[in-house]
Amino acid sequence: MRSTASRTGMALILAGLLLFGLLSFLIRYAVFSDEWISHSNRSGVASIEQVTDRSGAVLYEPHADKPYSEDALIRKATVHLLGDREGNIDPLMLKQYIPQLVGFDKINGTYGMKGGNGQVELTVSASVEAVALQALNGRKGTVGVYNYKTGEILCAVTSPTFDPYKAPTVADDADKTWEGLYLHRFFHSTYTPGSIFKLVTTAAALENIPDIQDQTFNCTGSITVNGEVIHCQSNKAHGTQTLEQALANSCNCAYAQIAQQVGAQRLSRKAAQIGITDRLFVDGYWTKAGSFDLSGADANRVAWAGIGQDIDLVNPCQYMTWMGAIANGGKAAEPWLVRRVYSGGKLRYEAKTTYTSSMITKAAAAELTDLMHNNVEEMYAPVNFSGVKVCAKSGTAEVYGKENTATFAGFIASDRYPLAFVVIIEEGGSGARTCSPVAANVLWACINVMKAES
Amino acid sequence: MNQILSFLSGTGSAQAIAVYRTVLRISLPLLALIIVIRSARSLLGFRREPEVWAWLRLEGDQLLPVMHWENLIGRKKTADVVLDFATVSKNHAVLSRQRDGSWTVRDIGGRGGVEVNGTPVRSGEVAYGDVLSFGGLEMTLEPVSKEEAKLQSLARTRAGKGHSPGLTLILLTLLQAMVVLSFFFCRVEPRTKILTAFGILALVEWLLFFAQKLIHRSGYEVETIAFFLMTMGLAVAGSANASNLYKQLISMGIGLAIFLTLGACLRDLETAEKLRYVAAVFGIVLLLANLVLGARINGSKNWIYIGSFSFQPSELVKVCFVLAGASTMDMIVTRKNLLLFVLYTLFIGGCLVVLNDFGTAAIFFIGFLAIALLRSSSYPSIALVFVGVGLAAVMVLTVVLAVRHFPHVGERFSGYGHIWDHMSDNKGYQQTRALICISSGGLFGLGPGQGWLRNMAGEGASDTDLVFAFVSEEWGLLLAATMIFALAALGLFVVRSARLGRSSFYTIAATASVSILLAQAILNFFGTVDFLPLTGVTFPFVSNGGSSMMCCWGLLAFLKACDTRQNASFAVRLSEKEADRT
Repeated sequence: MRSTASRTGMALILAGLLLFGLLSFLIRYAVFSDEWISHSNRSGVASIEQVTDRSGAVLYEPHADKPYSEDALIRKATVHLLGDREGNIDPLMLKQYIPQLVGFDKINGTYGMKGGNGQVELTVSASVEAVALQALNGRKGTVGVYNYKTGEILCAVTSPTFDPYKAPTVADDADKTWEGLYLHRFFHSTYTPGSIFKLVTTAAALENIPDIQDQTFNCTGSITVNGEVIHCQSNKAHGTQTLEQALANSCNCAYAQIAQQVGAQRLSRKAAQIGITDRLFVDGYWTKAGSFDLSGADANRVAWAGIGQDIDLVNPCQYMTWMGAIANGGKAAEPWLVRRVYSGGKLRYEAKTTYTSSMITKAAAAELTDLMHNNVEEMYAPVNFSGVKVCAKSGTAEVYGKENTATFAGFIASDRYPLAFVVIIEEGGSGARTCSPVAANVLWACINVMKAES
Repeated sequence: MNQILSFLSGTGSAQAIAVYRTVLRISLPLLALIIVIRSARSLLGFRREPEVWAWLRLEGDQLLPVMHWENLIGRKKTADVVLDFATVSKNHAVLSRQRDGSWTVRDIGGRGGVEVNGTPVRSGEVAYGDVLSFGGLEMTLEPVSKEEAKLQSLARTRAGKGHSPGLTLILLTLLQAMVVLSFFFCRVEPRTKILTAFGILALVEWLLFFAQKLIHRSGYEVETIAFFLMTMGLAVAGSANASNLYKQLISMGIGLAIFLTLGACLRDLETAEKLRYVAAVFGIVLLLANLVLGARINGSKNWIYIGSFSFQPSELVKVCFVLAGASTMDMIVTRKNLLLFVLYTLFIGGCLVVLNDFGTAAIFFIGFLAIALLRSSSYPSIALVFVGVGLAAVMVLTVVLAVRHFPHVGERFSGYGHIWDHMSDNKGYQQTRALICISSGGLFGLGPGQGWLRNMAGEGASDTDLVFAFVSEEWGLLLAATMIFALAALGLFVVRSARLGRSSFYTIAATASVSILLAQAILNFFGTVDFLPLTGVTFPFVSNGGSSMMCCWGLLAFLKACDTRQNASFAVRLSEKEADRT
């Protein structure tokens, strides 16, 4: 009998399995129930009554006959955040707050929640979005601006876009007019950065090479590294360059030498510290990770990487955050889009500012700020505002088989207008020429909005 | 009555109702938890006091107790009577008690042989006072006197002592009253029907309780757990489709009849053994009838319609299967009937594959493993059985998956693991809704009739396959989790009491039964929450379904038959009465 009784193991295993399954499910419930409930059709996005911008302008009323903004430009500028009627664009930002919209919590579920009357307040400004879209003027690209002290995104525009009332048919798109139409490029694209990446190289140099500001670099218009030639723009010989001059002139020859001095290891470490290859989570959007990989690279590739070519890729939103970190002395506020969510007449969610980890030392950030402000004074007249200290760097990224991508990134060093920005225009040619006027328009619009608020 | 009803759900006292509902919401799962914990503590916390059926007196007046109806005698530590002498084999002999109280001994390959009064025997009767010799080691078989038997039963702790089953049942009745109140406060119709159904349930559970009191049986935990689960089953029916309430109760009635009849038969090993053959044949007949008359629903052909009454024969075959698989020590040791049982299993498995009832086939497979594990007398044979059955299982699975004209099986399997990509098609619709609704219910539920899954009852299987989610949504995750605790407690109880079993027949039957119940709960629950593909297996006692209900009560009888705590179970004859018969 006893030997038989000792083999009741099957019942023991099954009871154990059942209890283990229950425990794992309870853990999954604790972790994922928000996500599960956000799939609820019944009370999900449909429970939203109104979405407004930072100034209270109505952007979206799902239950109205005409759900989107009255202004066609604003409709086009915000459709990627709000979702279209055909379901081609997923309103990730709104879906993120379905648990709050339906009054969900893990203890009570949706009990006692009579639902509806959901109100979502965004941080974006409809007027700024419209200005940005107009400034892009039909060119493909993206513009992002955010407050690096609070994290509020004032502008996140992507192009091409469309009027949700007149959705285009994209089936036959031979000339690629609608390429990436449903994509929010600010969150979900990566670009070859071009010379704006020199800010990463400069940061690494400032932190690692004590006398970098005292050194000079000779530029003859091209330099041979490891048997291959690296050119400056139009083979222009810049002559003897300080770090400041090299950055302002975006001198590839100088930066090839600086990248050598910094070395692959420290450059990679810097890129990792800045989070170039990380994904950010911004109110429902996981940004696309950039890339920076110098494993096994020779000196020539290290030089190209330091210039912002090679296989470097950056995400616009992530790069904007890096600009904020320089402006803010090392750590930036993490960007967000949704300020408040109400449902059933109650405040269900209010955004709080959180900060990134340190991307750069305070001293290096201060030095880099001055260098970037010098760029603006020397090179970027459109954003050389009087009374406001704008700091920036442009880039002209070579993309195989296409016109150059124009890139521009920077910030305003100011307590009143703490704004970091990024402008990217595909096949836009020179970053300085193409992007800086766009940035100027958008920054002015932001400053005006902030003035009106204070 | 109507006045009370209209007062309770009156419009004038909306706030009072809100308060009541809040109190009920929170206290319901806590009360359920208390009921299950009380039952579990009683089932798992008892002192394991063996029964003594005879004595073996060695030279020098050393007495060895004989503690089962079947006793393995040998040198190994897991023998029931351990004789640690070099001349005794590890497995030497089996000493068995017969129905009339007489004893037999069987030589199972002991090196020195077995002798009774100096005569070598392979297998023979032993009378009290006879001298037994195992490998030359002599001892006398001595009876347990009536006085000793009486003293023994007085000295053993009575079942349920310290955990009054009556009080637990009062708590369960209170829970049922609260469930009915919740229905009223949530204004679920038809009120009278719901009240009546729960009233009948309460009446039946108290009648059964008092009937057992009359025959001096006090172990009621197993039944309490079953009635608790049934309460939740009725709560689901009341919300999903009130016309199922009486159906469930009628099925419970039939189930109880099976439970009591089977339990009574199991008191006697000989009767039980005879019943095996009847059951085995009945099982075959049921399955054949199913093959011939079966109607195809959701791709499985496992339903029989007789007029408007429908049932699933394969459910009842489970009870037959357990009976057929159970076996006494004698037969285990001699491997008698093992081949027959393997063939029987293969027949059932074959039928189920033809019927395309994959879930039930999996349940039988687990039941078979449980039985095979218990019946095999040595580890090599266990390995052999596992390998053989494992191969068979792989083959069956391959066949089932290969035969693509069974659409629902293929579809359900292909959605497994990425259900969120299939929210609106067959591959993930059910599980995604289940998870959404579990979240929606939170820990305490939305209240009866307030959930969304009730719209998906019947065809959408929310009151059967997804019943865990159904209970979770309307009564809360805590209460749903309590249902799982309750079943796990039954499993652990069988494991714990196995050592005290009178015969391996009971131990095997109880382990197989509880394994089947647990496996059903696992497949049902894991399927609902996407840990496994959905297999359409019912949750014991809770899922809507008559045949399943009957089967569960039938299986429960085997659990009662292994409960040898003093005065515990109607399916176990009191030991002093057993002694009287000698």
